[in-house]
Amino acid sequence: MLALNNIQVLYDKSIEAVRDVSLEVPAGAIVALLGSNGAGKSTILKAISGVLGQEDGEITSGVIHLEGNAISGETPRAIIQHGLLQVPEGRALFATLTVEENLLMGGFTRTRAETAEELERVYTLFPRVHERRTQTAGYLSGGEQQMVAIGRALMGRPRLLMLDEPSLGLAPQIVDVIFEAILGLNHNTGLTVLLVEQNAQLALQVSSYGYIIENGRIVLDGKAEKLRANDDVQEFYLGFAGGARKSMRDVKHYKRRKRWLS
Amino acid sequence: MDFLMLLISTGLVSGAAYGLIAMGFALVYKSTGVVNFAQGEIVMLTAYIAFSIANGLHLSFVPLVLVTIPISMLIGLVLERIFIRPMLGEPVFAIVMATVGLAVILRSATIMIWGSEPFNFTAGMSTAVIKLGGIPFYPAQLYLMAALGMVVLAIWLFLRFSRYGIAMRAVAANETAALLTGVSVNQVHALAWMLSSGIAAVAGLLFAANFKLAPDIWFQGLKSFPAVILGGMDSVTGAALGGLIIGLIENLSQGYIGEGMREIAGFIVIILVLMIRPYGLFGSRDIERV
Repeated sequence: MLALNNIQVLYDKSIEAVRDVSLEVPAGAIVALLGSNGAGKSTILKAISGVLGQEDGEITSGVIHLEGNAISGETPRAIIQHGLLQVPEGRALFATLTVEENLLMGGFTRTRAETAEELERVYTLFPRVHERRTQTAGYLSGGEQQMVAIGRALMGRPRLLMLDEPSLGLAPQIVDVIFEAILGLNHNTGLTVLLVEQNAQLALQVSSYGYIIENGRIVLDGKAEKLRANDDVQEFYLGFAGGARKSMRDVKHYKRRKRWLS
Repeated sequence: MDFLMLLISTGLVSGAAYGLIAMGFALVYKSTGVVNFAQGEIVMLTAYIAFSIANGLHLSFVPLVLVTIPISMLIGLVLERIFIRPMLGEPVFAIVMATVGLAVILRSATIMIWGSEPFNFTAGMSTAVIKLGGIPFYPAQLYLMAALGMVVLAIWLFLRFSRYGIAMRAVAANETAALLTGVSVNQVHALAWMLSSGIAAVAGLLFAANFKLAPDIWFQGLKSFPAVILGGMDSVTGAALGGLIIGLIENLSQGYIGEGMREIAGFIVIILVLMIRPYGLFGSRDIERV
C-alpha cells in the first residue's frame, strides 16, 4: 500500500537525518519501525505526512508511493485526503482547545456528516474520551491525551494510520488499552498501521513485519517472529543477554564500533 | 458627580476605540505569533478609504460600513500576501520588523494620496447630541461603543463555533499538529490578517467620525498597546475589555491627577501588568504537561 524508496532527508540542507530508507507497508498489515532515540523514526513519519518543512527539512532524494502514486511533494492536506494520517509523537494535542474541539479538528478535511459519524465512533472506542469531552485537552492525563490524539487521527478517516511512539511515557495498563484499540481497528476495519516504537517488545508482539533503523538507516528487517528470534535484536532491543548478565562495558564497546567510511 | 460621569462616558468611548484596535492586534498575534506594528496604519488607511467612499458615493453610516469592511479585508489579504507570506519560516523578530517597515510605508502612502491636512468626516451620522441618563453623547460615540459590542460578539461566536475559527485557535495551539489535521496554516494566517483589517476599518471609520480624520490616527495603534497587554496578547475578547479599562484609566487619571496623565497612564499599566501578570487578564499561560 505504502512504499518508501531510497528516501534521504536533510535538515537545514546540511544535516542528514535519514539515508536510503526503503520500506513497505502492505494493506491490512501492522508494520513496526523500531529504533532508539535520534535514529530517524519520526523524521520518516514527517516525511510521509509532508510536514518536514516545519523544521526546515526536505526529502532530497527518493520517492514515496501510495498505491502506486507518488505522494512525496504533495501538501499535508492532500496526503491526509488520501487517507494517510499520523498520530504525532508526544500526542501534540491542541492544549487550549477542549477534547471535542480537538476531535472536530481531526475531521477538518471531512464533511459535517462524516465528522458527526466519526465522532460517535471515537466515543464508542474510547468511552473515557467521551466523559472528558468538554474539558481542556491540556489538562488530561497522558493516557487520555493519547486516546484523544488517536481519536483525532481517526476522525480524518485513515486507511493507513501512522503512530509515533504511542506508548511513550504511559503506564503499562494504559498502553494495553491503547494497543488493544489499535489491534481492534486493524482486525475489524482492516486499518493498516505503521507503528513507530522504542518499545520493541511490545511492537514486535502486535506487528507482522518489522524494520530496525539506526543512525538514519535501515539495518535489519524481517517478519516479526524472525526479528524476535534474532540475537542482536534480543540483545539490544529486547533486553535478553542469553541468560547471564553482561558487563555494560562490553556492550558499550560493541556499540561504539563506528564505521567512518561507508 | 457630573464631572465623574463625563470622564467615565468619554473614557468608555475612547476605550471602545482602543478595544477595537487591540482586537486586531490580538487576532493576528494569536494565530501567527507576530505583533503587527502596522495595525494602527491599517486603521488609518482604512479610515481614509472609508472617507473617499463616503464622499464618492454619499452613503449613510450602515451601508458605508458594509462597503468598507470587505474592501479593508481585501487590503489585509493583499498586505499579508505581499509583505508577510514571503517571510514565512523566518524568525518571528524579522517578521515583526517587516511590519514596522510596512507601517512606515502605509503611513507615507496615505499622506501622499490624501495629503496631511485633517478632514472633517461625519461618516453619514448626524451630530445632534443625544442625552442618555443625563449624560450627553454624540451619535458617533454611541455607534463606536455599539460597534465594539457587536464585533466582540461576532468574533467570539466565530472563534468558538465556526470551523475556521476553531482551526485558528488550533493553529495558535500547535502549528504542526494543525498541519497534520489538514488545516492550511497559510490560509489561517491570511484569514487572521483579513479579519483584523476588517476590524481596523470599523475602528478607523468610527474613530475618525468621533475626532478628526488626520494622518496621526496611526498613533492610536501604539496607544492601543496597553489594552492588548492588559487583556492578554492572545485573547481577542480580552483585548476589547482591556481597551475599555485603559480608556477609563486614562480619562480618570487625566481628570483627577493632572494634565498629561492621559498620555502616560496606559504605559504605566503596561509596566504594572508585565510585572504582576505578564500574560494579561485573559491571556493563556502555556499549558505544559509532559
